[in-house]
Amino acid sequence: VRISVDEKLCSGQGRCYITAPDLLDCDDEGFVSIKGTSMEVPVGMEDAARRAANVCPEDAITVTD
Amino acid sequence: VSDGTAEERARGVCPIIDIDYREPRPAFEHYESLNEVREMAPILYNTTPFNGYWMVTRYDLVKEALQRADVFSNKVVSALGDPDKHLYLIPQNLDGKAHVDIRHVINPWFSPGSVTRIEPLARERAVAMIEELRPKGSCDLAVDFAMLYATEMFLAILGLPVEDGLTMLPLVETVFRGFFGGDPGEQADAAGQIKKYFEEMVADRVETPGDVRSDLITFLLQTKIGDEPVSQDDILTLCLTILLAGLDTTRSALGYIFQHLATHDDDRQLLIDHPEKIPEAIEEFLRLYPLVIQDGRYVAEDVDFHGCPMKKGDLVWLGLAQANRDPRVFDRPDEFVMDREHNKHMGFAVGAHRCLGSHFARLELILVVEEWLKRIPHFRLATDEPLMERGGQLMLKTVPLAWEV
Repeated sequence: VRISVDEKLCSGQGRCYITAPDLLDCDDEGFVSIKGTSMEVPVGMEDAARRAANVCPEDAITVTD
Repeated sequence: VSDGTAEERARGVCPIIDIDYREPRPAFEHYESLNEVREMAPILYNTTPFNGYWMVTRYDLVKEALQRADVFSNKVVSALGDPDKHLYLIPQNLDGKAHVDIRHVINPWFSPGSVTRIEPLARERAVAMIEELRPKGSCDLAVDFAMLYATEMFLAILGLPVEDGLTMLPLVETVFRGFFGGDPGEQADAAGQIKKYFEEMVADRVETPGDVRSDLITFLLQTKIGDEPVSQDDILTLCLTILLAGLDTTRSALGYIFQHLATHDDDRQLLIDHPEKIPEAIEEFLRLYPLVIQDGRYVAEDVDFHGCPMKKGDLVWLGLAQANRDPRVFDRPDEFVMDREHNKHMGFAVGAHRCLGSHFARLELILVVEEWLKRIPHFRLATDEPLMERGGQLMLKTVPLAWEV
């Protein structure tokens, strides 16, 4: 499972890393640190990844199997 | 796109309404009216005030417009003010690269990591103010707590003396009246006085720099965009903007949250029993009680937006409050529901202009509810009269609470 964050859409709402603090963190400006990139979701954190995507008001997060 | 005024172009294309959202009403009637209008159509034309505006009401379209900054410009940011006499704000009124550049500079000041520097003081002051109220058995939450607390915290995060808050508040209120139909002359005068205050602060920091980590003006004076320092005029506008944006919203949010907790015993008890759920509850409060009911935008180029022929220069209302209560997106949209799985609310708007102070606001709201419920877990509204709500940008004017001592 991979999680990716759209470079253009992410506005630093912060909902994703608040919802999934063990999976995601933020940069100095308050953007999720994987903004504009993607990463493999560690085994066991798939639900956290989906919860993070579910609360993003910008629809900037995609989780793919 | 045919010619004619926006209202003429709207005729036959979408419903035309005439509702003034600047007027005070009994509490929650704004939300009721906004819900009704949303269910009439996804886009309408409202003829009040001035020349009126296209009113975008549904969640998907509001989001789409806020994320299309090339078409929907921030040259104007409220559909309710006089578009020709509006107060210039930074970063609000900037578009494109100029906006990205200034946000890049200022975002770190308000990032989650950065605002935690205020947390010890924010908690200490919250506790002190609540403890002072507790033996009294009653207070007006809006006046005796929220206003003072939000002002102190706002000045603290800028690194300014908290005791200056009482001088600033009436000026801020005058500026706000100007946004929503008040006299533009009075507004300009009040804004001028606020700028003068910041001017003195800037002059002082030029002379004697403060700590660049805790004093915003010192930080801005030492910051460059590209090779250019931020101009002193822009620093003044930025400080004015942050003051206007940060003060009124936080105190208004506290008012709605505490009226809800006072009138919903089950929700209050849940948070007393499970304080770890307070952050999630705050997100739901931000969804259910949006204060900034609309973001205005200026149409920067002719566009057919979902069948509506918009032309350059038209004004658009993007209905944040209507989106947050859109039943197409949220089940039981007018109720407080814990643990929503898809709570993609727009309480802080969406798009590049997402509320700069959102992380700071969350911190304040969470810790006030935490500390209050620890000390005054049970309280009720101390009136049977309906509460009144300001129009334009919503605020409960009074929230009288009472509790057993």
